[in-house]
Amino acid sequence: MFQEATAEDRRKYYTMEWKIERIPDFIRESIHLREFGFDHTGQGPNDRYRFFRDEKFLTKFMKYRAPYAAYSSVALYDRPWKREGWRSSELVFDVDAKDIPVRQCKCDNVCEKCLDQAKEIVAMIIDTLEDDLGLREIHVIYSGRGYHIRVLDPIILKSDSEVRSQILKYVIGGDIPRFSYTDFEGRVRSLDHFMVPLGYPRVFTERSRYIILHLNGDEKIEDITRQTMNKILEYRDLIGADRWGEFRDIIGPRVYERLIKGIAKLNLQLVDARVTVDLKRILRLPSSLHSKVSMICTHVEDLESFDPLRDAVPDFVKEKS
Amino acid sequence: MISTFFINPFSQEAKQIVKAKGDLNKIIEEDERLINIIEYTSGQRLDDDSKIPGSLWELSIKRIEWYLEKKGHRRYQPGYYRFLFNSQIAKFDVITFHILAQAIGAKFNPNSRESRIFIESEGEIVKERLLRVEHQVRDDIISKILNELLDSEKPHWIQLEKLLENRRIKLTELILKDGKAILDKSAPKRIQQIINSIRENIIPALIMQKTQEYLYKVNEMAAKIEPHPILVELANEIQKRISREFFIPKKTKPGTIKASKLDFDAFPPCIKNTIKGVKAGNRNDAIVLLLTSFISYARLYPAVFKERKPHKVSDFDPTLNITLNEILPLIYEAADNCEPPLFQDDPQEKLNITAKLGFGLHETPRLENEGESKWYTPMSCEKIKIHLPILCKPDNLCEKIQNPLTYYNRKRWQKRKEEGDRDIPRSNSRR
Ligand SMILES: [Zn+2]
Repeated sequence: MFQEATAEDRRKYYTMEWKIERIPDFIRESIHLREFGFDHTGQGPNDRYRFFRDEKFLTKFMKYRAPYAAYSSVALYDRPWKREGWRSSELVFDVDAKDIPVRQCKCDNVCEKCLDQAKEIVAMIIDTLEDDLGLREIHVIYSGRGYHIRVLDPIILKSDSEVRSQILKYVIGGDIPRFSYTDFEGRVRSLDHFMVPLGYPRVFTERSRYIILHLNGDEKIEDITRQTMNKILEYRDLIGADRWGEFRDIIGPRVYERLIKGIAKLNLQLVDARVTVDLKRILRLPSSLHSKVSMICTHVEDLESFDPLRDAVPDFVKEKS
Repeated sequence: MISTFFINPFSQEAKQIVKAKGDLNKIIEEDERLINIIEYTSGQRLDDDSKIPGSLWELSIKRIEWYLEKKGHRRYQPGYYRFLFNSQIAKFDVITFHILAQAIGAKFNPNSRESRIFIESEGEIVKERLLRVEHQVRDDIISKILNELLDSEKPHWIQLEKLLENRRIKLTELILKDGKAILDKSAPKRIQQIINSIRENIIPALIMQKTQEYLYKVNEMAAKIEPHPILVELANEIQKRISREFFIPKKTKPGTIKASKLDFDAFPPCIKNTIKGVKAGNRNDAIVLLLTSFISYARLYPAVFKERKPHKVSDFDPTLNITLNEILPLIYEAADNCEPPLFQDDPQEKLNITAKLGFGLHETPRLENEGESKWYTPMSCEKIKIHLPILCKPDNLCEKIQNPLTYYNRKRWQKRKEEGDRDIPRSNSRR
């Protein structure tokens, strides 16, 4: 498992196993409007600005070239071969298992454990996209080393990078919620994030809970000492039980403030922000082979039951084991 | 109860007033009623006649002046501006808002310093006026204004997209449910106070956004129809006031490298060429990499290569006033001069410019984002020669230096030496 694919493996995969039908409809319908990119040598997608008139041309190319990696743009263009005439871009979140800030497994590539964590994070983000932002038409792609969330809701397809960056911060808990009000006597009062059971404060509380409960203890959190970290680990069951107030009192309000700041920064690493704000990104093409780890980039129909080690393993790997 | 148009100049009522009374030929006439209201405003200082506007023209200028002085902190005396918050001037005030928008929109680009100052001043005025609305009627007034501006107290967040784009509000500052931003009274009691404060924060943001869109419209119109001469005159007057505010004495002590107003004559050839406009191909690198770092360091921290201390922009510009009003307009102007204009087909580059100033990938720099990226130092001449060869047209001084910023410092120093003893500057540096 997770071995690099040889040229022979790739050939086998693309001639025997790969089928155009494995590309999800939302891409198949718009092949002629997307830019395609390829990596033929394993050194990155250097072959860009590729254009295919229809499925037939793409099929031919894939079977014949058996690329090391294949990508297509999140954007639709009038002239994809020049990346001109931008029409719209999917909203994308890239959760890479090997970049999760609180990795339980500490493996040096990816493994079952961190892939599971990535899946948990994806599920949380999708809940927020649906329940808070009211977005629909959300697709999940297993990328080979993590997941891509691709949102095709028409209302955000034309949004600019700034709006996307704000959505990103919302769904991963990248800002510390600051909600204050002036009371009758004119004093400014603020409510802690865990006291507001809906909207963004709740998202932040959930993401922070995830981070704190998954801390290994060796993560670097700004302004948090070794000693404090131990205390956090000692008392984090309180957070598991939703007793944030007690937890804060034990570690002290000032330390808590620093901790929350540090966690907001860790939250920002749950997702690769550059991918979300880039309107002209190319993403691994679902159905293509992730040759570095010999996994198939796969459109996930049902996230809960999806198991990459069962559903995204190419035949040539199964045969070897 | 105060009228909503004292806060929302875009309401139907406001528009009717402007239609009925906004005769441009009369705006320089003294109006006894206006003077009367001001004189009877509680807390108003009356010891200086020049501080009391007698006409709509003067009231327009006072609106901007109030903001400039308040932001500048120097000599700001709130007592002279109490009338701006007396709702009895509402009818006069709403007309001046529209006169100002017409004047500024006609004369200046919607992204110019003048436009931005006008938009921000309107936001500040709205904020202060909202604060002064009495408790008993506050909820009602706010609900009314929200309905005027949004047609709903539960808008879909995408209706607020423009506010997000321009960072007038943050998505994380809203309470969202099923795609709707909750701004009404339906929230659980415990968090109603929070909703109240969101309601109050979103109104100035909405009005600033509308003002900006208004300026765009006026600006487009002005390209087709000649604006009324009095508007042009008003715009000139506003421009004078604003540049006076940003004036910084040119001469600093010889021998020191200090932050001071930019001296265009001392720019090296590559920078001058960039400002003139660059063709596609080199355009993005020239503006985003070369010009952005050069201008920001030249203006704020010209000694970077001498001292080599890792500073942030806000160390030198704590309010970002200089960054937003001097540095960015210059960069944006150069971007506009490109062929084709940079932001037209690469709007993303605005984010990259912000990132190069150290404020992460955002449309505009904000203090709270500082540190999300690094403040890039200007690239060396060697790099320019490799990446942007067409911009590099070296002169004599170029041969002795390795970086455009060093050129700038050296040239300024030379110039000062030449001007020399003719007029020795005394203590005239403000910063
Ligand atoms: Zn792992």
